[in-house]
Amino acid sequence: MAVVATTAVSEPRIVADAGVRRRRFIDGLATVILWGLGASVILMLAAFVIYLFYLGASAISWQFLTGSPQETTAGGGIGPEIYNSFYILVLTLIFTVPIALAAGVYLQEYAKPGMFRTIVQFSAESLATVPSIVMGLFGLLVFVYYFHWGFSALGGAVTLTLLNLPALMRVTQEALSSVPDSLREASMGLGATRWQTIYRTVIPSAIGRMTTGIVLIAGRIFGETAALIFTAGLSVSANHPYELNPMRSAETLAIHLWYTHSESIVPDVDRIGNGSALVLLVMVLIFNVSARVAGRALTKRFTGRSS
Amino acid sequence: MIESPQQRVGTREKLVAKDVNIYYGSFQAIKHANLSIPENTVHALIGPSGCGKSTFLRALDRMHDLTPGARVEGEVLLDGANIYAQGADPVVIRHRIGMVFQRPNPFPKTIFENVVYGPKIHGERNHTRLQEICERSLRQAALWDEVKDRLNRSALDLSGGQQQRLCIARVLAVEPEVILMDEPASALDPIATSKIEDLIGELKEHYTVVIVTHSMQQAARISEFTAFFHLGEIVEVGTTNDIFTRPKEKRTEDYITGRFG
Repeated sequence: MAVVATTAVSEPRIVADAGVRRRRFIDGLATVILWGLGASVILMLAAFVIYLFYLGASAISWQFLTGSPQETTAGGGIGPEIYNSFYILVLTLIFTVPIALAAGVYLQEYAKPGMFRTIVQFSAESLATVPSIVMGLFGLLVFVYYFHWGFSALGGAVTLTLLNLPALMRVTQEALSSVPDSLREASMGLGATRWQTIYRTVIPSAIGRMTTGIVLIAGRIFGETAALIFTAGLSVSANHPYELNPMRSAETLAIHLWYTHSESIVPDVDRIGNGSALVLLVMVLIFNVSARVAGRALTKRFTGRSS
Repeated sequence: MIESPQQRVGTREKLVAKDVNIYYGSFQAIKHANLSIPENTVHALIGPSGCGKSTFLRALDRMHDLTPGARVEGEVLLDGANIYAQGADPVVIRHRIGMVFQRPNPFPKTIFENVVYGPKIHGERNHTRLQEICERSLRQAALWDEVKDRLNRSALDLSGGQQQRLCIARVLAVEPEVILMDEPASALDPIATSKIEDLIGELKEHYTVVIVTHSMQQAARISEFTAFFHLGEIVEVGTTNDIFTRPKEKRTEDYITGRFG
């Protein structure tokens, strides 16, 4: 067939002419460029992770992961900092998740388009753009000074709540708006009330995205520094490093990383810094991977289908 | 005593629309519609695209309550009671009047959970009861044999035709009195369409069916009565036979003979 096409002009056209060749060339070019950009992003990330492992791996030991930090001598660990990071994370999520989910559900499912909804959304978006250092200073003025909480895990967690509330609210709204109206109609059409429709159909359909959003926010909380420096403080609890009291100061891992490099006078700054950075990175990676796993598992659990 | 369909037809008015006007904002989509639908019949609503037939259908189930900016005036009587009267609860009305939509819209849940969704929201908790309802509804919807071995698989894995029959089973599970269908076969292939049509023929034994359809052949095949809509008005109502063989209105004749539409 191909042979015939090259000899006879009137045969059906199957060979590319100049115009088609040009389009195919551009198609190939676009593929190469996009593939190359994608690959370089992955390479950069991989190089970053490998470099951190190279620097930090030698610092990691059981003693380092569980030991207490030192102010002046070498050999300090990061045990209380890891504990505080999780402590503040859990506390923050306890405040953030219910409020953000409720607000997102209200805005997406109940609020009619109009002045009120516009104002709430505009405020949330404005709040979302506030730099975390500004939020930290706000926390300092309100919680540390005005409420006389001093540096406390609670003050840090509330500040982080203010910082992350808008983002999680937005994620919730987007997760809910990705649920097609046809499902709402199907549910209401069967005689369901609005609330039954939301908790039996809309939320289960959006749960995967919502979970992903929550865990990604958790990663951000885990790595946050600026908002915590002035609120949760730079020291671990003086009484007992692993105590549950929310009114004690609670230096997190991310802050410890910043603190050792900028303020600390211990001789093994690099070792502690590199080790802390590696632990922080691995934790955040674990969050991100578990976000996907949890999102998928919940979607499957509620919808009987993977995707 | 066995009633013949002819005896049953027209015995009682199940659903009556009285001077219904429907607005989207300032646009009037339905103008002074009057229609009476006898019990245990299939009533077709036909007309060209945009004539308001789906809009009218949704008003029979108070679905416009969910559309911001939509407004319904007039009365729709279900067994003589106005579903738009003060105190009429849309939840109760939608329990008694079920709706099948144009595109199959199964919930992203298992087949079983789809069918028992309605009974569950209305308070049925007994698992054995729910299983009975599931089997009965799927059998009625002529889907049981195809899915009985995979009730715990996602409904989204079914074909389009199966999904639509599942949506019908889901409506049947709440045992409504009236079933509204908004072009239920328009997204389906001919074989799936004929299955749905056979099913509708069986449904009128127990239910009153109102179906919006694009296809005049479909209306002719499955319905006893037909209303012709044009530009937001009901132009003509009659037995399907009369509408298709001796229409009274010029516009009806033009439409069914294919001069516009």
